[in-house]
Amino acid sequence: MLSRRALETLTAAITGAFGVAVVVSSLDNGIGWSSGGVESGTFPFMTGLIVVAGSLYNLVRGWLRGQEIAVRSAELRRTVALFLPAAAFVAAIPLVGMYVASAGYLLVSLHLQNRLPLWRSALIAVVAAAALYLVFERTFEVALPHGLLGAMLEP
Amino acid sequence: MENFDLLLHGFSIALSVQHIALMVGGVLLGILVGVLPGLGAPNGVSLLLPITFGMQPVAAIILLSSIYWGALFGGSVTSILFNIPGEPSSVATTFDGYPMARSGRPTQALATAFGSAAFGALVGVVLITCLASWIAGVALQFGPAEYFAVYFLAFSSFIGVGGAPPIKTLVSLAIGFALAAVGMDTVSGSVRLTMGIDELVKGVNFVVAVMGLFGIGELLIAVEEEMDAKAVSSRIDWREVLRTIAGLPRHWMALLRSAAIGCWMGITPGGPTAASFMSYGIAKRLSPRRARFGQGEPEGIVAPETADHAAGTSALLPMLSLGIPGSATAAVMMGGLMIWGLNPGPALFTEQPDFVWGLIASMYLGNIVAVVLVMLTVPIFAALMRLPFFVIAPLIFIVCVVGAYSVSNSYLDVLLMMGFGVLGYLFKKLDYPLAPLVLAIVIGDKAEDAFRQSMLMSQGSLKIFVANPLVSTLVGLGFALLLVPPLLRAIGSWRRSSRREP
Repeated sequence: MLSRRALETLTAAITGAFGVAVVVSSLDNGIGWSSGGVESGTFPFMTGLIVVAGSLYNLVRGWLRGQEIAVRSAELRRTVALFLPAAAFVAAIPLVGMYVASAGYLLVSLHLQNRLPLWRSALIAVVAAAALYLVFERTFEVALPHGLLGAMLEP
Repeated sequence: MENFDLLLHGFSIALSVQHIALMVGGVLLGILVGVLPGLGAPNGVSLLLPITFGMQPVAAIILLSSIYWGALFGGSVTSILFNIPGEPSSVATTFDGYPMARSGRPTQALATAFGSAAFGALVGVVLITCLASWIAGVALQFGPAEYFAVYFLAFSSFIGVGGAPPIKTLVSLAIGFALAAVGMDTVSGSVRLTMGIDELVKGVNFVVAVMGLFGIGELLIAVEEEMDAKAVSSRIDWREVLRTIAGLPRHWMALLRSAAIGCWMGITPGGPTAASFMSYGIAKRLSPRRARFGQGEPEGIVAPETADHAAGTSALLPMLSLGIPGSATAAVMMGGLMIWGLNPGPALFTEQPDFVWGLIASMYLGNIVAVVLVMLTVPIFAALMRLPFFVIAPLIFIVCVVGAYSVSNSYLDVLLMMGFGVLGYLFKKLDYPLAPLVLAIVIGDKAEDAFRQSMLMSQGSLKIFVANPLVSTLVGLGFALLLVPPLLRAIGSWRRSSRREP
């Protein structure tokens, strides 16, 4: 269970941290006026300041919003259940490549997570990976990553 | 009459077998992304962007804009039949569309929606036909200062009348600007904001942001609500369709008012979502049958649908004539234009008349194609919605990952997209608007260049922004849009509180 206050605080912290990073990093590029015109750090510096100021405002406003529930436990569970396997899929891409990773991801999320019969999950997984291959590698000649696995298999 | 000749010329370009085939394909794909929750028009358009690189610009823009029309229509189908808005802009359509469909009148609900949507789109296109080249003509005289003022106006209207909390809009906008600055600075050639990651020299691509913010973010939101699609019958009775369309002119007042709201919100980048909500709200306040809103009142479908499509269409007007997109999808298309080597803005009308008028003509044709196709395919796409969400969600996820990767064959982009996905989820949850962020990524560099060029011209003095009547009017209008809505709100709440205390 997550309260609105917690979510607002988290988001304001993320945007604020981004703003600070932008401000600090643009100082390296120089801000203000030089003989060549406006220095290249100026514009990002200003946007960074706006982000920081806005985040502080949102932080305070969000804190005042109180403890109403923004995400219920069941909702949070469903969101996490979608996100975690997806994140694992993304993490697996450099290792086993896009095709194996997406087939594995579908198999896990359909069969193990949602109890779709094995043969149907496997069918969807294989068809999806094959479709990716046909559309990207063959039709549009975009090589999707083959990963370490692909590098090992290639002679 | 000159515009009319140009338009006819445009039709002669747009009307070819290849272009019509692209329209049909684009519209079908658009309906698909519109119907699927989690995939929307901005995603659909960005996914196909890499495919268009080898095409003629006219063919490419026809394909992309057709996806847009299809998505706008597709979003309404699921709103009405399933009470699940396929697109954020069709949320308001669920209020009366679904009750009407559930009470045994699905055909009437769909036909009302499509009929008024087509009317809204038509008004938008006519507006573009009449005004675009005139506005472009005016804008040709703009210098950098005027340009910056127009950008300022666009962003102020987001903050002032976009409907989201103003400071959250401001943060979203400023983050977009900062992201646009990442990478090589076009003016000085120095490298900015890469945070020590060398690959970021190439910058943050807007397609990656769109895939994450709109695709992954929306999926995470959609999975939260347990979606069991309780569909009503999706069989279409064609006689009923004709009867409903013939009865639409009865709502002429709502049609015209909603089209006007839509066009206004499309041109000043408020976007289709804000337009449809605003139009629904106003219709509810003004209609004599306001008590029946929410229970399947036709005017409750007419108002949001007309405004949604009028806004979606007229969002292309500032994109074409000023180089400022009026919605997130228009921003993605504009990114495409720049990749194809076209320079969106007033010069487009003199340098690429074939492209501009071919596109405008294709908007008339594309919307007709979209209305016909969406009617014909309602049962097919309705059947698609019966697939359980846990099957659709991972597939959409894979599509987004592949889409982000294929932009520049970079794994870093996939990781960035995941980050944008989490951000998109949080932003959606907490009413931060996403469109300003995407818009700022696409036109951030141009706005910055305009600012820096004006500063060079004036030797660093901000007075250049009030130097002549045109630029000071634009800047003044921008400040007005920024400051008047909160002032009105403050006065309103002050009045209410003073009335309570005798």
